[in-house]
Amino acid sequence: MSQHVAHRRVARRASWTGRALLAPAVIAIVIIAIYPLGYIIAASFSESSLGRPFSEWVGFDNFAAMLGDGVTIPSLGRSLLFAIPSALIALIAGLAVALSLDAAVKGGRVIRVLLLLPLMTPPVMAGVIWKLMLAPTGGLLNNIGQSFAPGSDPFLFLGSSPAAMLSVIVVDAWQWTPFCVLLVFAALQTLPTEVYEASQVDGAGVWQTFWRITFPLVLPSLITVLLLKLVVSFKVFDLVFIMTSGGPGFDTTVSSFEIYRTGLQTFDVGAAAAQTIAFLVLVTIVILPLNAVRQRLHKEG
Amino acid sequence: MSVQRRSSSPARLARRALPVIALASTMGLVLAGCAGDTGGSSGDGGDKTLKVLIAAPQEGAGKILEADFEAETGVEVEVEVVPYDQIQTKAILDAQSGTNNYDVIQYWYTSVGALADADALADITDWVKSDEDIDSSDFIDAIFAPYTQYEGATYGLPIDGDTHVLFYNKAIFERNGVEVPTTWDEYVEVSKKITDAEKANGVYGNALLGSKSAFNIGSTFFNRLATMSPDPIDPQMPQLDTEYAVAAAQSMLDAAPSALPSPLEIGFEQALPQFLSGSVGMIEFWTDLGVFAQDPEQSKIVDGWGVAPLPVGPEGKISGALNAGWAMGISPNASDEDLAKQFVAFASSKETNEKLITTTGSGVDPTRTSTLESPEYIEFAPEVSAVAAQVLPNAQSWPTSPKAPEMIQSLSDNLALMLQGSLSAEQAMQQTWDSWQSLAG
Repeated sequence: MSQHVAHRRVARRASWTGRALLAPAVIAIVIIAIYPLGYIIAASFSESSLGRPFSEWVGFDNFAAMLGDGVTIPSLGRSLLFAIPSALIALIAGLAVALSLDAAVKGGRVIRVLLLLPLMTPPVMAGVIWKLMLAPTGGLLNNIGQSFAPGSDPFLFLGSSPAAMLSVIVVDAWQWTPFCVLLVFAALQTLPTEVYEASQVDGAGVWQTFWRITFPLVLPSLITVLLLKLVVSFKVFDLVFIMTSGGPGFDTTVSSFEIYRTGLQTFDVGAAAAQTIAFLVLVTIVILPLNAVRQRLHKEG
Repeated sequence: MSVQRRSSSPARLARRALPVIALASTMGLVLAGCAGDTGGSSGDGGDKTLKVLIAAPQEGAGKILEADFEAETGVEVEVEVVPYDQIQTKAILDAQSGTNNYDVIQYWYTSVGALADADALADITDWVKSDEDIDSSDFIDAIFAPYTQYEGATYGLPIDGDTHVLFYNKAIFERNGVEVPTTWDEYVEVSKKITDAEKANGVYGNALLGSKSAFNIGSTFFNRLATMSPDPIDPQMPQLDTEYAVAAAQSMLDAAPSALPSPLEIGFEQALPQFLSGSVGMIEFWTDLGVFAQDPEQSKIVDGWGVAPLPVGPEGKISGALNAGWAMGISPNASDEDLAKQFVAFASSKETNEKLITTTGSGVDPTRTSTLESPEYIEFAPEVSAVAAQVLPNAQSWPTSPKAPEMIQSLSDNLALMLQGSLSAEQAMQQTWDSWQSLAG
């Protein structure tokens, strides 16, 4: 009997020890994730400003206004329009560069360091530099254009449609390609050499080797990189803020920028919270299936 | 068994200590998260510190105020410079969160209603009325009320009376045989003539500040509204459902084709160097451009520029808009209210304003009648001061109600859509007016 009680005490103590050890993680999750999410959900059902949070519960009014304001829903579409191409361009360019680096015998290390420069440039500085380069008067690209066609009208990279969105996509891809290079290059180093040796014995060409060996083997890693880059692309703010301020008109007003405008320029925290919920739903809809594919590929791999 | 349970072997002690350590570390994390800088004055009575929130465009003036106030009083002034569009956020969060990090807050005057409504500025009506040293009657009437008043109470004192005037390049005008425009129609004609003649050489008739920040596209619009409308602008609800508002917007559209490309990308940061390099015939700009234009290190048009009041509309008169003016208020939670008042009085005083308006790079314009007419200012900037004396007393306000931030953003959005070609002038004004009406509830 006493042994049974002792066991129960030990079990109870172990249980409390486990809970206590878990407490920091649980509290961190509550503070970092659950509290902000709960706050945003609550705020989205309230009339809130920075000065007067939760001044009134308004039900679904913020969501109804969001659907009818003519800005929020298009901004969600623009987020998709921005995130998917920029992530794909960065991934494809990253794969191409990583394959080149993988094949490089000499100078690979130096080139890898140089390739990291865009990634190490603060996004704000990258935005400023590219804005100057793309400027209609005095910008590098238009100056080059003027040297070929003197007196011609400058091309409005950031002041016309759809050039502004394309420009921001290209700059974002430029900045994040090294990130993809790093991850894809690391994945390429893990591929088994025996398979390549066997393919050489069988007389496989470069394309055959790539499509039949390298690509299938590295695909799970590519999907992971694409997932990460998509999340980063959805969150883009700095480049839009610096390069276009969401313009011309609303052409580059993606969701993250629109939420910033609503929350921190007009101080309508309730409406910004509703926009954030809608944005969260969009990102989840895009990310979840991709994540499922990634998990399936990893299991199969 | 009982002996074992009471034993204090290191392993058992460690096991017992683990939950305690875990709990303690958890509490530590929580407490560390809760801990914050209480801010405020040092409170030791001897080494007083004053924390001042300053907007980035006013950084030059902030440094002067910091140095001069410290020299005069021995009080240490800590100036925090933030982008202009974050001042309101910082001030409100500071007051609402109880952080109380700032004693004095510089604010863009259009946010006076929002800041007062959010209890982020202290009501200083009685002090301003009773303290003769402030001499509030000396402030330019057109500036004092919009910069400081909300629902009949005073929440700050003016620091910088910003307005736009018309600067022009004399050489470009002479080459093209044109005169300084006095109406907005003439402005468009002159601009078109210059651009047609010199665009191939990279010279344009005007630089239209059309980028979608309030300081740029908003200033361009209010310049026209203020000088086209025969009636003063109502700071609570500027009338946009009028022919004058549509004409003001249309005037922007008319000027855009001959403007430095492209207006939607042009803010004051882009326009200023282009004008100073001699590539632009005309620019609507703040009066301190006259100082930059005479600085050989950054200007190629030293003594080659002129300045005039903004053109007017058929029924308008010489005027201007209060674009980007600044005032200073006191945080309701200032740790030393008297010291904060002393600083605000110092910063808005005649002596300080006179020093700032005669210092290159301060970015400050006159706020007082006495400084607008002071011999020092006239000697420092003879051409600009003469024009400012015509414009500032008649300058008109942007919206200043608690809903002003939303109103200004809505206006900026619709004007940008108009310049993009998505809306006509009528549609831009109608959409803005409709959104303003819904904001007013």
